[in-house]
Amino acid sequence: MRNKNFLLIVPAIAVFSLLFVLPFIYFFLISLWKIKFFKLVRDFNLVNYDKAIFNYVEIFINTYSVSIPVAIITTVIGFYYSYLARFKTGKFGSLMIFIALVTLFGGYLMKIYAWKTILGNEGIINSILMYFSIIKEPLSFLLYTKQGLVITFVHFLLPFSILPTYASLRGVNEIEIDSMKDLGAKFYHVHFMLFFQRCRAGVLASFVFCLLITSGDYITPYLIGGKITFIGNMIAPKFGQFYDWPGGSAMSFTMLTISILIIILTSYLFKLTDPK
Amino acid sequence: MSKYKSGLRRIRSFGLSRRNFNKGLLGTAAAAGLATAGLSSTASAATDVTFLGWEGYDAGLFVDSYLADNGINLNTTYIGNNDEIVSKLVSGGVGTIDIVTPYMGYIPMMVAADILQPIDESKVPNLSKIHPFFVNDPNIIVDGVRYGVPFTWGCAPMMYNTKVISSTPESWDDLFKPEYKGKVGMMDDPLGNIMLAAVIATDAEVATSLTKKQLDDAIKYLISLKSIIRLNTPSWGDLADALARGDVVITFSGWETLKKFCVDKGADHIDYVYPKEGTFAWLDTFSIAKDAPNADIDHKLCDMIVDVPAQLMIGDEFIQGITNSDAIAQLGVSKDYYPYNDLDGLANRATFFAFPPLEEGSGKTTFNEWLEAYERFKAA
Repeated sequence: MRNKNFLLIVPAIAVFSLLFVLPFIYFFLISLWKIKFFKLVRDFNLVNYDKAIFNYVEIFINTYSVSIPVAIITTVIGFYYSYLARFKTGKFGSLMIFIALVTLFGGYLMKIYAWKTILGNEGIINSILMYFSIIKEPLSFLLYTKQGLVITFVHFLLPFSILPTYASLRGVNEIEIDSMKDLGAKFYHVHFMLFFQRCRAGVLASFVFCLLITSGDYITPYLIGGKITFIGNMIAPKFGQFYDWPGGSAMSFTMLTISILIIILTSYLFKLTDPK
Repeated sequence: MSKYKSGLRRIRSFGLSRRNFNKGLLGTAAAAGLATAGLSSTASAATDVTFLGWEGYDAGLFVDSYLADNGINLNTTYIGNNDEIVSKLVSGGVGTIDIVTPYMGYIPMMVAADILQPIDESKVPNLSKIHPFFVNDPNIIVDGVRYGVPFTWGCAPMMYNTKVISSTPESWDDLFKPEYKGKVGMMDDPLGNIMLAAVIATDAEVATSLTKKQLDDAIKYLISLKSIIRLNTPSWGDLADALARGDVVITFSGWETLKKFCVDKGADHIDYVYPKEGTFAWLDTFSIAKDAPNADIDHKLCDMIVDVPAQLMIGDEFIQGITNSDAIAQLGVSKDYYPYNDLDGLANRATFFAFPPLEEGSGKTTFNEWLEAYERFKAA
């Protein structure tokens, strides 16, 4: 029986190994090599990591100064959207979740260009404000700024936050909420001692999704960020025009390590809030 | 010595982004052509000719039925940057690849790497029709031997919004006027941006032959731009978009075709100028790989791409610069988008620069050093 169960997961293991583990190992290996005249040279060295860690400090700071707030904001909004869908909107709750999921069909680039249309100098917001003479000059801080990046990322990532938080909220029974309130619990107590504790996994999953997707992105910073550079903007050309796969791989693993450390730290902070 | 300056352009991301912008149009044309060739090849044994170059650069080969009539099946592999041509050829492509489309700055390096074969000029009669500004650029003729057929070109002018800027800018210094602060745009093109910065801010005679100090000066200039630019776009299409929307009103570097892109977006108030300090130009070529399996056909294709029909297609349909003088005389809508009526004058403002050295030892900074230096600009 055990063997039969194992056989059932063999395809999944095979796909995971072929599409993730093997490329992962490959890129880790070449991150220790170097390029000479457009060819990979198997010359073991740590120079790529030395550069990745020390040459891009400001860009890593840039990246995480946007991606951490994005992950927090998206998770909070996603959580309360899920909360409304789960407890406050009755039969329309499913519709709210459906609407959130439907936005995924809109496409990533379409959302980015939609926000460019909304936030640009001649965009919807500036046009309306100027039409009503609220402003004389277009508000330039809306687009090609960190604010514009945060708005775009949050909009794009919301479904990725709503899904895990809604799933975890489904495990909370309304009777539990009512019981707490009957015993005198305030809004804060219900949220912190019930929702947050019971939905920690979902909230953490939302945070992780948002952090990893944002910190690894380079298209949104390119199109919305103006002159803001993310680490992804430095990694992408390493695999294309610069033809420096070892350098790009080392930067990717450095970024991955930083993200994992942030996730571990966040997970640890969550555990500290455990009332037991 | 030609009266036209030597040198080359800004191939890399320039080419990538520029071509991506046209990908749809060009791809459609190429696909249509390939379909025709494919149908033909079923009628008789096909000759496979391998093309390695930018998407759309093969489209001009389908303006007539030569490929179909001769049972030639064009196997195309599109590149994302010029390095792919070199990397594919040095890693086993020699002997299997026919046509490649490097920009001229790569050619001396490719010849040194022994991955190109000479062009037999007697088999490319249309060379005689190519304007002298392009035909004998020193980069494509190495030790007196031709290695490329130049078929499309462009420069890096300053783009500006005529509604906002009523008098034509004369100098790159105009970018720093207080009224343009936060309204300057540029495209993220390492090679092109460093070249242009070197033209503007260093005393280098050749913008791709820089000492460490000159490279530092060029990077300092680029970093100084950071205080005035609003955006550094990934493609020319996005820069055109920002110009047309009014998000930026003036640019560091540019491309003549952006004017057309903006017109297509309903913005007919975007123009360009070649500032007095000068700029760089670029030139793409059809070249034949070493030991190409179909050298005779390859020469014919090199001739076709600079023949009038193909050139008119490239010029009028894709709004790219063309090199055949007869075709230039017949150009329609696109004639106004390039300074065809004053190519001699253009030679005084735009220079073709060779590619930076790839290997150390010349006393000049290598391309890898350029890329590392450019990252300082990106990180600043």
